[in-house]
Amino acid sequence: MSDLSKLYKATILEHNRNPRNFGKPDSWTHEAEGLNAVCGDLVHVYLTIKDHVLEQVSYAGESCAISMASASMMTEFSQGMTTQQWRHHFELFKQLMDKAGRVDSFPELGVVNTLVTVKKFPSRIKSATLCWYALAAAIDGQPTATTE
Amino acid sequence: MLREQFPGLKVKVHGKPLVYLDNAATAQRPQVVIDAINNYYLYNNANIHRGVHSLSESATELYEQARVSMAKLINAPSAKDLIFVRGCTEGVNLVAQTFVRSRLKADDEILISHLEHHSNIVPWQILCEQTGAKLKVIPMNDQGELVLDELDQLLSAKTKFMSVVHVSNALGTINPVKTMIQAAHDKGIPVLVDGAQATPHIKVDVQDLDCDFYTVSGHKMYGPTGSGVLYGKAEHLNAMPPYHGGGEMISKVTFESSIYNAVPAKFEAGTPNIAGGIGLGAAAEFMMSVGMDKIAQRDQALRAYAEQALLQVPGLRIVGTAEHKSPVFSFVIDGIHAHDIGTIIDHHGVAIRTGHHCTMPIFQYFGLAGSCRASFAFYNTEKEADVLVESLLKAIAMFE
Repeated sequence: MSDLSKLYKATILEHNRNPRNFGKPDSWTHEAEGLNAVCGDLVHVYLTIKDHVLEQVSYAGESCAISMASASMMTEFSQGMTTQQWRHHFELFKQLMDKAGRVDSFPELGVVNTLVTVKKFPSRIKSATLCWYALAAAIDGQPTATTE
Repeated sequence: MLREQFPGLKVKVHGKPLVYLDNAATAQRPQVVIDAINNYYLYNNANIHRGVHSLSESATELYEQARVSMAKLINAPSAKDLIFVRGCTEGVNLVAQTFVRSRLKADDEILISHLEHHSNIVPWQILCEQTGAKLKVIPMNDQGELVLDELDQLLSAKTKFMSVVHVSNALGTINPVKTMIQAAHDKGIPVLVDGAQATPHIKVDVQDLDCDFYTVSGHKMYGPTGSGVLYGKAEHLNAMPPYHGGGEMISKVTFESSIYNAVPAKFEAGTPNIAGGIGLGAAAEFMMSVGMDKIAQRDQALRAYAEQALLQVPGLRIVGTAEHKSPVFSFVIDGIHAHDIGTIIDHHGVAIRTGHHCTMPIFQYFGLAGSCRASFAFYNTEKEADVLVESLLKAIAMFE
């Protein structure tokens, strides 16, 4: 399989076509916007946090398939975690997506490991990581996040 | 063959022949430009306007000859009316700060258009913050053409300056700047024209346009990056204060005061991009030897062919359909984001730009986050337009 086919593999295309937890919810407790100024990707993350647990994670925005799929996977993956658990997984995710990193998967990240192929397309890594930074910003009470 | 003179077009990308359609971002350079740069570094490497030794003299001559070539290309009355700058961005900032700023008071107005690149918006916003002046915008229509019916009204008693783009980098629209300049001059308003995307494609005659200032970007017209010129009417340049202080721009310095050098040296503080200036002169000579009429003709033939080819792609919509256009195509495809298209067709060797192209207000007008942009130059071929279309069809197939 070519790198390109690996990038646009079925899992990513399926999440892009049928994004989970997509759209602005009726209510939320935390929110943040992720903006990639260079390419124009914009992702808005909405959270309902109760007793330090991510009860509901949603997102909205208009961006590329990589960004949409990453956000969709992230919402399913993150729901039900405590913020502390989430932060731990976010650190693993950052290592997974680190261009210089050598790790190709972490068992704890499950289906999210699919995104590792994006590393072969350096100009697109930020598309995959933007929503994660936005979620971290939302937990921290920051209104905006960038990947810069 | 002209194309053969551009060595950058011979590279392969992902094992496929490069199809370079990102010329509006930066063009490829002909061998003569690369040779001119090498010739300076290899055989004439010295600082200019400083030494009495032979190398300094020959380097100075090459640099000043480049200024003459650029003056010929845009038909400036004298090479002294051209200031070497890093590009259009620096040219616009220079005019904003040294010509327009002293003429402004609170509530005065500066007029730009909806088609401007960020580099012809932000310097004026900074100036407005500094002076309390207001920025006004000539609107555009759904075709991406300026609505000139409103120009007369927008050129008000408060308007102190107009700065407009000659050719839109995002949509390719060629603006009727001569008519616009005439309208502004009728009311005594000076005008800057941003020529970044015009000089690579059409014959520019600053005397015929009668513009007060005209900016040229070197790397868009097959010259080196970090090179460019600002043309200004002599009467303006002579009256303007310097932009940057430093060496070369003075004739006498004491700790009490300094006497500034004559134009253009007054605006060229510090050792300039000598190799870049010399390379730019070579690019101007190259374009004149090809002939601007021939370049413009070839552009329009490519434009007609590529437009028809692109319209065969299902779900593709061209954004910006002005009657007068350079061969630049902004487009969107139903259901596929521009960045995904850009990544996929890159694997077929096709280089295009994706995103907002530093013209966010244009895409806000169309309700889009951005677009794909295929921008052609005279060395592109009809076959390359076909490869673009084939690669787009493959991208669509991938998402089905």
